[in-house]
Amino acid sequence: MANLERAPRKSFNDLIYDLIFKNYVWQSIFRTGYPNTPRNQMLAVATNVFLHLHPTRIHRTHVKITHTYCLGGLSFFMFLGLTVTGVLLMFYYVPSIERAYQDIQELEANVRFGQLLRNMHRWMAHAMIILVLLHMMRVFYTGAYKPPREFNWVVGVVLFILTLLLSFTGYLLPWDQLAFWAITVGTTMVGSAPVLGDESKFLLLGGFSVGPNALIRFYTLHVIGLPLVISIFMAVHFWRVRRDGGLARPL
Amino acid sequence: MVSRAAAAIRTRPRREREAEVLVWPDLVFIEFISALIFSIALMVLSAMVNAPLLNRADPDTTPNPSKAPWYFLNLQELLLHMEPAWAGVIVPTIALVLLAAIPYWDRDTQGQGVWFGTKFAGRLTVFGFTAATLITSLLIIWDGSLHVVWTENVIRGLGLNSDFTWPGGLDWFRNLRGFDTGIPWDSLGFTIGGFTMFEDWRAIPLGIPGTTTDPWLLNLNFPSFLSQQIIPVATMVGLPVLFVLFCKGLGWIHSRRDIALLIFSAFIGVYLTTTIVGTAFRGQGQDLKPPWDIVVLEE
Repeated sequence: MANLERAPRKSFNDLIYDLIFKNYVWQSIFRTGYPNTPRNQMLAVATNVFLHLHPTRIHRTHVKITHTYCLGGLSFFMFLGLTVTGVLLMFYYVPSIERAYQDIQELEANVRFGQLLRNMHRWMAHAMIILVLLHMMRVFYTGAYKPPREFNWVVGVVLFILTLLLSFTGYLLPWDQLAFWAITVGTTMVGSAPVLGDESKFLLLGGFSVGPNALIRFYTLHVIGLPLVISIFMAVHFWRVRRDGGLARPL
Repeated sequence: MVSRAAAAIRTRPRREREAEVLVWPDLVFIEFISALIFSIALMVLSAMVNAPLLNRADPDTTPNPSKAPWYFLNLQELLLHMEPAWAGVIVPTIALVLLAAIPYWDRDTQGQGVWFGTKFAGRLTVFGFTAATLITSLLIIWDGSLHVVWTENVIRGLGLNSDFTWPGGLDWFRNLRGFDTGIPWDSLGFTIGGFTMFEDWRAIPLGIPGTTTDPWLLNLNFPSFLSQQIIPVATMVGLPVLFVLFCKGLGWIHSRRDIALLIFSAFIGVYLTTTIVGTAFRGQGQDLKPPWDIVVLEE
């Protein structure tokens, strides 16, 4: 193998190639050579912590766009984008009813690209819900929930609920009229549960109505509590896709 | 039960190396491109459309209509047609549990990995979605009493009767509440063997006095119970059953997968319809209105 990869006499291109991809530092980061041979391509996937989510080879039908429309992957991509924009937003936002609304106004007016940052976070959140719903429909209509993937479908339903909760907890944070009344309406619905309704509502709001306690609870759930939980469920979800034999395929 | 796990492994397709492609570059490339397209699209959207920011939150000023985030507006829509406990909590909980339970009920491993894998899947999907969307829309129109307004307008407009109003004898058909307020419940008592039954339909004694302080458990308001609980729940249970029987009659259903396809498609139809109506067709006081007539008042 090694003989085939190296030309007998080095051309200028080979020298450059070796300089970049075969030096000590590069090889300490990426254990394999540049992925230009099947062997290196498989190693690139297998030895990379991010890429090793994937198997090294997959069935031909699974790279057809119309088989999955990339919906699950894009949902995950939205989550990553929301994490990045969310962390940046945290620099400018204090979850107190005195400052929250003002912070958003200042973010939009005074921070360079602040409005764009907030817009990205907002539209990605909406996109994630739509993508998760479409992903669920894709899995259903391709019969991909069938054995042995039953449990992963259940994990998917939990992920859908967590996605809604993440969006719902984020909805209150700007502390404007839209946020306040949407959460008031939403938590009133929780309060109408036949058993433990009022108790659940109180637990969620930290009081009888939306106020400072609700804001800090929603904020904490939004930026750390729910992201941790959803990350665990996502890890299980992705792991089980591999364990259960990859994407579903006709028998 | 040993065989189930074993069967799952046994029925897994054997690897066919020649039909496989390498993840790098074939899949990684697609993932990269789709991520890129979404990043650019969202960047463009964010540059053009700003996230909404209204006035600072004010507990003393209630916007009319007040709405939950759009993805909960299907539940808020249900809230208008039934007891809040059903709409806000019980129905979504049951829906999610049933959704999660699909693979434990439909265990046949045939037909996976292909779109619409059964013979009549396409018809079932189109029928389930369309019929559920239509029926949900009609039910919403009926409960919004739009049929009353339309009938009155048509009869007046045609000059048949210039001051026609919806006949009092049909008050019970005005909307769902009509079963509560439009029926003369007070005169509906009857006598069996010398005992007068149900003299007061609005306070049917249930509990033993002194055992509970909850007036609802002590006395049942039957007309309200009928319109807010029995009819909505019977509709939500009955319509799917009718759907299945109807499609069975047409010979479209041959497996549990077919039933799942039909009901799931109907669910998507209801989910979409209620979300769209709740988002775009509910004005002040949650009245049914076309989107262009909706203004938000602060009161």
